[in-house]
Amino acid sequence: MPEIEIRNLCKSFGDKTILDHVSLEIEKGDVYGVLGLSGAGKSTLVRCINGLEIPDGGEIYYRGELLCSPSKRIEKQKRSKIAMIFQQFNLLEQRSVLGNVLLGLEIVKFGDRMRRREKAMECLRRVGLEDKADAYPANLSGGQKQRVAIARALALDPEVILSDEATSALDPETTQSILSLLKELNKELGITIVMISHQLGVIESICNKVAILDNAKLVEQGELSDVFLNPKTEIARSLIYADHVHTALNEHHFIRLLFDGNSDEPIIANIVQQCSLLVSIVYASTKVIDGKVYGQTVIKRPKEEADREKLKKYLQLRHVKFEEVKSLGME
Amino acid sequence: MGWNEFFLALGETVGMTVIATILAYLVGMPLGILLYMTGKKGLKPNRALNFVIGILVNTLRSVPCLILIIILIPLTRGVFGRATGAWYTMIIPLFFASFAYVARVIETSLNEVDQGVVETARSMGASTFQIVWKVLLREARPSLVLGLSLSTISILGYTAFAFDFGAGGLIARAYSIYNNHPMNYLSRPDIWVILILIVIVVQVIQELGLYWSKQIDKRRIAK
Repeated sequence: MPEIEIRNLCKSFGDKTILDHVSLEIEKGDVYGVLGLSGAGKSTLVRCINGLEIPDGGEIYYRGELLCSPSKRIEKQKRSKIAMIFQQFNLLEQRSVLGNVLLGLEIVKFGDRMRRREKAMECLRRVGLEDKADAYPANLSGGQKQRVAIARALALDPEVILSDEATSALDPETTQSILSLLKELNKELGITIVMISHQLGVIESICNKVAILDNAKLVEQGELSDVFLNPKTEIARSLIYADHVHTALNEHHFIRLLFDGNSDEPIIANIVQQCSLLVSIVYASTKVIDGKVYGQTVIKRPKEEADREKLKKYLQLRHVKFEEVKSLGME
Repeated sequence: MGWNEFFLALGETVGMTVIATILAYLVGMPLGILLYMTGKKGLKPNRALNFVIGILVNTLRSVPCLILIIILIPLTRGVFGRATGAWYTMIIPLFFASFAYVARVIETSLNEVDQGVVETARSMGASTFQIVWKVLLREARPSLVLGLSLSTISILGYTAFAFDFGAGGLIARAYSIYNNHPMNYLSRPDIWVILILIVIVVQVIQELGLYWSKQIDKRRIAK
């Protein structure tokens, strides 16, 4: 049974459709990425999951039980099981770090004062901020603020954490440290994470599954490695290559080489040596996903027909997946 | 005018201002919260209710204070047995003249609270009461305190109308000096003493408000 199942979710604001029959399943223990451009509907999707928005159509199930639908509002106890962290952290500025973590515990009337305090301190220790318990948010860095927000989310023993662009306001280094904290919580506490981001790097560094939203529609979903190595739709391609590719390159034709984690061979160097072709690399990226090396390298296609054939044969011989591409996704 | 008289007048002014302010907050605060809650971005948007409260508040605010005092004479008389001639007869009119203003001041302070934190509390399953009490009023505290000094000073200004009803206080006293000595009132020291006292009172209220607001505001950067 999926942890969260979304069936035909629809939502519009006025005459603008934000979500158009979106369906997806999130298994327990997943770190599920939702990727899309701004305005694609990502935020609205997660906001529906914890009841901040009421869908116009469709249902969301939590462990097989109806969580919310147009006619059913989310129950309070369920809300505390589905925590949320935000891009702007949303800390109470007038409460100390400890006070912020206590907020949720006070809302659900957990234990007595002492128990709440203990619990909050335990969560602060988890995120490495116990020494900041009495500080106020104004005196914390962005990364520390997000850690407090994570501690606040943890205080209610959530089963799911929804992250709405939680790292988008942070610098790359801090982003990585927040991501590894989330990954740690996922591994050690078994918390399912739904990760909204427009940043490809964020999704690929911790997610095992990904869904791509474009203009209110879910266009691709599946295992991260499948979607990232073989993006089928134009929008997925542009999202996956967008950061790196210059539009001026579009006049040329390219060949994209895909590495699925099994090859130790220096393919590019071998092409140069064994086919005596000079290769010009326009984009390359390799990642470690679940311990395996994946990657893709885009090279310029040789001008001469004979050279092209030679290259293709060589790649086939070496079992390197490849495809010819006209553009790199940026129109 | 002797010093005793100055302090008596000062006491009357402070008395009517403070009591009217407290009453105005007792009514204006819930009204302001209600205005915020029923507003467009509030917790329970309710156009009809918001409109009705809005009209009530705006109407009260647009009735000139002097007219309000006259209209309220029967009520004041009913409560105190008299409608003129004593400082406390001003309390009811001052209260009516100011609670609508207070409601708007409170509403403005609450509007300044970041929607994001309200949403966070909501996502944790907080009740409306919990959101108002634990999030809104708490986060708006420094701004509410500034609003309090603002309201107090504005109510202090209304005490001028006490003159027309013989209800005393500093401002009314200054006006009587003019009435009694129209030819040379500016060369009399007592009118200047009163002026200075009023300026001091306003300053004290303003500075206290600023100081208190800063003291409780945790947004400042620690050194």
